[in-house]
Order: sequence, then C-alpha cells, then structure tokens
Amino acid sequence: MILGDFGTSYAKFLDISDPGAVPKILETKSLEQDTIVDLATGHNGKRFGHEVVNELTALGRGGASLIPDPHFILLDCGSRDIKYVEFKNGKLENMGWNAECGASMGFTIELLEHYYNLDYTQLQVPDKTFSVTCGVLGMSHIFDAVVTGVPVDEAVAMFVKGIALNAFRFANAPKKLYLSGGLCDNPLFVASFPCEVVPLGRFVLLEGLKNTLNTK
Amino acid sequence: MLLQGKIDSSYTKVGIVGVPPVDIIRQCNQHDVEIFDLDEPLVKAPLDTTAPYVPQVYCAILRTAVQNGLHLTNLDAIFIDVGSGKCDCAAHIATILEDILSIPVFFTKNQDSVDFGTPICQSNLPLLEKLQTITHRVKLAEMPKNNPPAVQAKAGFWGVPPRDFSILELFPATTHVFGWTRCMENKTPDNVKLEALYNADIPTVFFAQSFCAKTATAQFLAQKHPHGLYLDIDVTASSSAKSKIQAFLELSGAMP
Repeated sequence: MILGDFGTSYAKFLDISDPGAVPKILETKSLEQDTIVDLATGHNGKRFGHEVVNELTALGRGGASLIPDPHFILLDCGSRDIKYVEFKNGKLENMGWNAECGASMGFTIELLEHYYNLDYTQLQVPDKTFSVTCGVLGMSHIFDAVVTGVPVDEAVAMFVKGIALNAFRFANAPKKLYLSGGLCDNPLFVASFPCEVVPLGRFVLLEGLKNTLNTK
Repeated sequence: MLLQGKIDSSYTKVGIVGVPPVDIIRQCNQHDVEIFDLDEPLVKAPLDTTAPYVPQVYCAILRTAVQNGLHLTNLDAIFIDVGSGKCDCAAHIATILEDILSIPVFFTKNQDSVDFGTPICQSNLPLLEKLQTITHRVKLAEMPKNNPPAVQAKAGFWGVPPRDFSILELFPATTHVFGWTRCMENKTPDNVKLEALYNADIPTVFFAQSFCAKTATAQFLAQKHPHGLYLDIDVTASSSAKSKIQAFLELSGAMP
C-alpha cells in the first residue's frame, strides 16, 4: 500500500507494505499525470489519491504519533501555506490554516535560494528583520534593501527571519515549537525562531496517514 | 422612515430581512402574502451589483439583502428588522433600501419574547436541512407540530445561518445548533441569553460572517469553550476554511 503526501512543490511517498522502506521525495511538477496512491494528503492529494485525508487532520495525527508530550504545538511550513495544531492532554485544543496571508512563504525561500545562488547553511541570523506576512509581498522588501546597499545574503536572511517570526506568531508564540515540512532542513529558518524548535522533518503528514490507517 | 408597518390588503409578495415580529409574519400568513427571505441568495445577479450602494467590505448577508432588493422587482414591500435582534448594520441598510427602492421599506424592532421552542436545532436532521428548515420557518407564524426526533449531540454549530450553506455539509447530523440561529427558531431574535448558550461537552464551531459585529462574540465564546473553533467567512467558504472545519471535527472525534 502506497501513501502519498502531495505538496505544492514536493510529493512524498511511503510504501508501508515494505517494512524497511524509507520515504521517497519527488518534485510535484515531475509527477506523471496517471500517478495514483492508495491514501493521499496534501494540496494535490485529491488529484493523486484513491482516498484523501485532510492536511490538517494528517498533521494532527502525525504529531500525535511522533510527539510524546501530551501538550504540543506543531507548525507545518509548506511551500504554499502554513498551518498548525495545538494538542493539550492528547486532545486537539486549537488549530489554524493560513493559505492567504501566509501565502507562498516556503516557495519564495526556495526561489530566492536558487535565484541568488545562496547556501542557507552559511547565512547568519540577522538582528534586524522585515515585517513579512506574505512571500510575494515580502520580496519587495529584499529588493528595496538591496537597492540601499544591504548585501543580498543579509537581506534574504532578514526576509527568512521575518517569515519565521510571522509563523511563530501565527502558532500563538509558544515556548517550544515542533516544526514540520521541508523548511526543517533550512538551518537559517529554524534558528530564526525566538523559541525552542524541534524539527520533525518532511514526513509528518505521511506519519499522519499511517496513523489514520491504524485507527480505521 | 416607516416603523413596524402593517400588511396592506393589496400586498401579494413581501421581502423580509432578519426576523421581523411574529405579528407581521402572522398577517402575511393570514392574507396569503408570499414571503421572500432577502437574507438568502435568491437571484443570479452578481453580488457586486450592490457596490454602488454598499461597500464591498461589508456583511455578505446584508449585501445579499440589497442584491435581492434591487433585482426582485415584484415585491410590494420590505420589512427589515433593525432592532438589537438583528444588528446596527441592518438599520443602515434599511435607510439605503428606503432611498433606492420605490416600494415601502418598514423598519421593525422585534422584541418578541414568547418561546416557540427549538426542536429543529436538536433534531436528527443533517445540519444543512436543519438550517434550511429553520430559515423556512421564519416565514411561518405557527410552529409545525410534527418535528423530527432529537439526537444526542456530538458536535455544535454556533452562529447565524451562513451566506454559504455548503459549510453545513461538513458537519455530522449529530450536530446541535446554537447562537442566533437557535434564537431564530425560537422566534426570539433579541434573546441575548439564548444566543450566548453553548454546550461545553461537545466540540463546537463558533461561526460569524466576516465584518459582522457578532465576530467578537463568536471569538469570545470560542475561547471560553473548552473545545471551540472560531471561524469567520465572507461570501463563500475558501478551501482552507472548509478544511479547518473538517479537520476540527475529525480530530475532535465528532466525525469518523
């Protein structure tokens, strides 16, 4: 049985019929049109899944599987949107999904990396930040700063920190934050949060799909 | 400004906005006057045709009332409730309708306090049918005696009937209805105590229309409720709004 998390930019797969299998990642744009999996989630889940699980539901169930603490806030930063779930005593307490004001933040970070040929492992967290509520609008801050003489890498770092702060406030400013999604692999983004961050990686939603199967 | 008003014997079709006093509804029923609920989308004309009269950033329900008023040209009169059982915005809309329409626009203040009961709010009907029934019954002065059986609640919907009824399809039939919709069924739209009622034992979505004053109450009650989700939606529900409802109900155990 194949599980699939079909995000805006990347699709993640796991074959649970193979006990030793590890998740695989493909660019969503490279998927064949006739790709089909047994159970899917993600922005493009309906296109590629026989059955579909809501992204927030998958995130919550994945968090419940992976996080031993009965109280937690889990934030997923994707290419297109940001969303979080908060559990207390093992039960859903709060949730949010920001597809409009949090639009395209992850996508923009990757776009800037390629456009400016940056290495995020080499960038320092800046003291200053931009006020960023949207990836597209935030880019204009970078261009304005570069025009005034701010080095490109510093301007991008201010942008990334602004995105992290926006996501932090969206998740109700916790002391400890569990992080899901591809941005877990971006050390600048993770270090830009003003709280303890526990990166869980890209496969939390796949874990949520596994949890869904177990509860059926 | 025409206050309260009576049903003229020549009327055959009237529009209502909000819940006018049951005496007005009774007169309509007695004279076989057809009632059009202008809070509901009744015409195909784009909502933006109201833009010359109402700002686009405004309650979608009241924009819809204006849209209906503009395009339902066979109405004889409109009764619009402007009391605290509706909202301040309705009073402004009433003034606008009175100016732009050639038919009488009556300003009512519904302070009815006789409880008609809330059997539909607690019934086993799918939530969509519950709200369709409740909004239909606004046009009736007498409550039908045969009601569907009650159901044990597993979820709650608090709020006004939404502009976009499609969100109601996401809830289980075991959803009980609270808030102003319950006041509507009880025919006491000005009953603040009833409006603030909720069941703390069931996960509840606290809904309000975007740009409505009730957003404050909805958010306030959602924070007080041990398992509440606050949600405001404008004209139509986005996919993320629908997903939030779906995930909330699934993760809270109200849906399988």
